[in-house]
Order: sequence, then C-alpha cells, then structure tokens
Amino acid sequence: MKKDWKRKIVGWLCLSSIAFVFQACYGTPQDFGNDLLIEGLVKSKKTGFPIKGIKVSVGDKMQYTLTDENGQFSFYTARMNNTQIYIEDIDSTENSLFINKDTLITIKDSIFNTKLPKVYLNIELEPK
Amino acid sequence: MNKLLKQALFREFKKNETKLHELNYLFWECTTRCNLNCRHCGSDCSKDSQYKDMPLDHFLKALDTINNSSDNFTVVITGGEPLLRKDIELCGREIRKRGMRWSLVSNGYLYDEQKHISLLNAGLGALTLSLDGLTDSHNWLRNNDNSFKRVDKAIGLAVSTSRLNFDVVTCVNNRNFYELEEVRKYLIQKGVKAWRLFTIVPIGRAKVDAEMFLTDSRFKKLMDFINESRKRNEIDIKFSCEGYVGKYEFKVRDSGFFCRAGINIGSILIDGSISACPNIDRTFAQGNIYKDNFFNIWQTKYILFRDRSWTKTGQCADCKQYKDCQGNGFHYWHSQKKNVLVCHHQKIKYE
Ligand code: SF4
Ligand code: SF4
Repeated sequence: MKKDWKRKIVGWLCLSSIAFVFQACYGTPQDFGNDLLIEGLVKSKKTGFPIKGIKVSVGDKMQYTLTDENGQFSFYTARMNNTQIYIEDIDSTENSLFINKDTLITIKDSIFNTKLPKVYLNIELEPK
Repeated sequence: MNKLLKQALFREFKKNETKLHELNYLFWECTTRCNLNCRHCGSDCSKDSQYKDMPLDHFLKALDTINNSSDNFTVVITGGEPLLRKDIELCGREIRKRGMRWSLVSNGYLYDEQKHISLLNAGLGALTLSLDGLTDSHNWLRNNDNSFKRVDKAIGLAVSTSRLNFDVVTCVNNRNFYELEEVRKYLIQKGVKAWRLFTIVPIGRAKVDAEMFLTDSRFKKLMDFINESRKRNEIDIKFSCEGYVGKYEFKVRDSGFFCRAGINIGSILIDGSISACPNIDRTFAQGNIYKDNFFNIWQTKYILFRDRSWTKTGQCADCKQYKDCQGNGFHYWHSQKKNVLVCHHQKIKYE
C-alpha cells in the first residue's frame, strides 16, 4: 500500500500519468479495456426454438455477429451506457422468416465497475 | 518543472517500479510464420518457419499461472504474422474471458473488413500496424508490391473504430527518411491519432543491409523531426522506447527513457521460452513454460533485467549518463555482455 502511494506520487510528479502507460518497440499501445461483452439467445416467440443465422449488430451496424445453431451470440463492443442493438433475419426463408427488431439496452455503471462487464439478452422474434 | 528535478524524480520512479516489477505487458509470440519477407525483420521469420505455431492450450496453461493479474494487464499477440493463425479470434476470446486484455501487432496484409469485425467481436482492444513509408518505400521494405495497398486499407478500418487503441509504427531507414513529412501528412489525413517511430536493430536480416541504418546526423534530424512534430499537436508522434536520447529526453516521448523489459514486460516465445521483449537476445531466456511455472519465474528470476549493474561495462563503464540510461535498451545487448550494440546518446552528442 505504502509502495503504491510512492508509485503514484512520483509518477505524477514526473508529469506522467503516462508514466504508467507504455509500449515496447515491437508492441502495441495498452488496451484500456473500454469494452462490454454482449451475449444472448435469439428464439422464436411462437415455437420457443432457438434461431440460427440471425444478424445481431450494434451502433452503426458495422460490427455484427450471427447466431449459431443454438441461437446463441456473443461479442465485445465499445463500452457505452446506452447501446442500440439490431436483430435482423438476413437469410431469407432458410431458417423461417422473422420480423426484425431493434432494442436499446441501458447499462448500469455498477456493471462497468467489474473486471469484465457483460450483459445477457434474451430476444424473441415474431414470425412473419 | 526543472529538467534536472524531473529526471531525479523519474529515476526514483524507475527504481520503485523495478522493485515492484508488476507484470503489465506480456508478449506472446504465437507463430513465427510470416506472409512477408521484410528487410528489417529482427526475428528471421519465414513462410516456412522451423517452429509450429504454439497451441493455444499450451499458452493458456502458462497464462493461468498468473494469479491476480494487474488491472491493465495486456497480452500482446505477436509473431511472425499472428493473422496467419486460423484460431486467432479464439485465442483472443480465451484471454479476454479471463478478465485480461489483448492486443495485436500485424503487418496489415490480411487485415480486411471481415477480420476487423471478427477481431473486435473477440475483444481486441489495441492494435499496431506497421507502415514503413509511402507506396514505394513501404513495398521495398516489405518486399511485396501489394503491401502498401493492403496496409492502407487496414489503417482505414482501424481508425473507424474508436474502441481500438490504435497506432502506426514506422521503421525509419535511409529510404523513407526524406519522406517522413509526407508520411505524417498521409497519416493525419487518414485520421490516425498515434504514430511511433523506431530505428533498426543490427540483428536478423537487417544486420547486413546498409540502407537500413541511419547516420548519426540523420538520427539527430529524426529527433528534431519528432520534437518539432510533437509541438504541432496534429498527431501523437513519439520515438519508441528503444534508447536513451540525452537532451531529447522528455521531448520525443511522453515520459523519460525506461526500458521495462523484465520489469513490467514479459514474454512467452514460440519455443516456450520465458523472456521479455521478443527482440532481446534469446539466450537471456529465464525459463521455459514446458518445464517451469511461468508466474513463478516472473516473480523470482529476471535478476539481469532488474539489476542492470552488469551493463556498466565497455563504453557504458564510465559514462556520465549511466544513471539515466543504464546501458540503453536491453535488446541492444548480446549474451557475451561485453558492450552495448548501439548508444543513441553518442549519436546525438557530437552532432
Ligand atoms: S554509453 Fe552506455 S550508458 Fe552511456 S549513454 Fe551510451 S548506452 Fe547509455
Ligand atoms: S528491451 Fe528494447 S523494446 Fe524492450 S522495453 Fe527495453 S528498450 Fe523497449
């Protein structure tokens, strides 16, 4: 504890909070871990069965993933209190037809205070 | 703050950090296969590496010996070219699942939109791409006519995601020296926020290539270029951690020179060796994950890294800068420990 104080004070006096942020020649900048793990399950509202091949995307839709054969998805995205999620049936009739859905998720600050912030979403889609 | 006072405080800071030796930054040399054949490569990687990629579970077994990793602990995945691994996303996910962060060093050749998305999905948090000049010089150094086009695309993708702590590194050599201004303009126009420049280490393929090494006067000009560019505040440009640069200290980097190899930086290399930065002479390895407990080695070995008094030899023996430099970057020493390979301070002292 005492050592940690000394560390912070001397680091700060060197005018470098950056004294604690570094990278080696052939390395990368440090990751500040500003992410959120979004996991979930997409199933049919009518049958309760999981749906495969559903596109789940965030924000400007550039980042997306597809549900697996168990209807599960999982991806890391930028940490924000409010995140817009888009759920789209993109494979036409291959896994039946479902109505697309948007949802806004709001994350509590307490979740962001953990080492690995995550949320789990249960999503039901209406058949077309 | 007065520079002398700042330096004195920084020395204290380094001493304390060395005593604590908290592991913050772990290189994982996951492959030595590479899809390019760069002139400056320090690792002598090749398309047909003599080593097989390290299986993920071997690495994880070593990683799991770390109890209570520090909050900012990051695994830096490097190679070779890590994107040649088919399971790179799985590697990232397994690391992130443990509450640890991960980042990637790449030449950008295979970094297309699909890869960008799948890596982000797997929790990639920081990325470094290598760009060694404008089209001709980059392609020359990378020995590949398409490499500029590919890395240009990769840079565009990386800057489009604010979540990524992203920077570009440039190996400064005699070919790209006079186009640094142009490269700066190009990067600013691409929206790149951070740019790190380094010079070549006389090892690997580069050792026999005279075009790679800057003269002392060019090296000093490089310091001036970085110093002047930093004042313009258009891009966060810095000199890499590689060496002590005397009067340019605190001017060309955010903080003073501090070689953190074995102090905050560790590595697991392709053959399981436990060391620090991958560019360090491999005979300095402290153990091997196939017979030792990784974290135990981190806590109990690394004596040569944490007590650098052995570097007070050769030209460093009676150097007035020693207390701030401590024998320069560790990667400038060979196992014979007779003399430092490069002294950056000497390069600028007489200019
Ligand atoms: S002689 Fe050695 S200690 Fe002195 S500045 Fe050069 S590398 Fe550093
Ligand atoms: S060994 Fe070299 S690359 Fe690694 S921290 Fe030291 S100076 Fe930087």
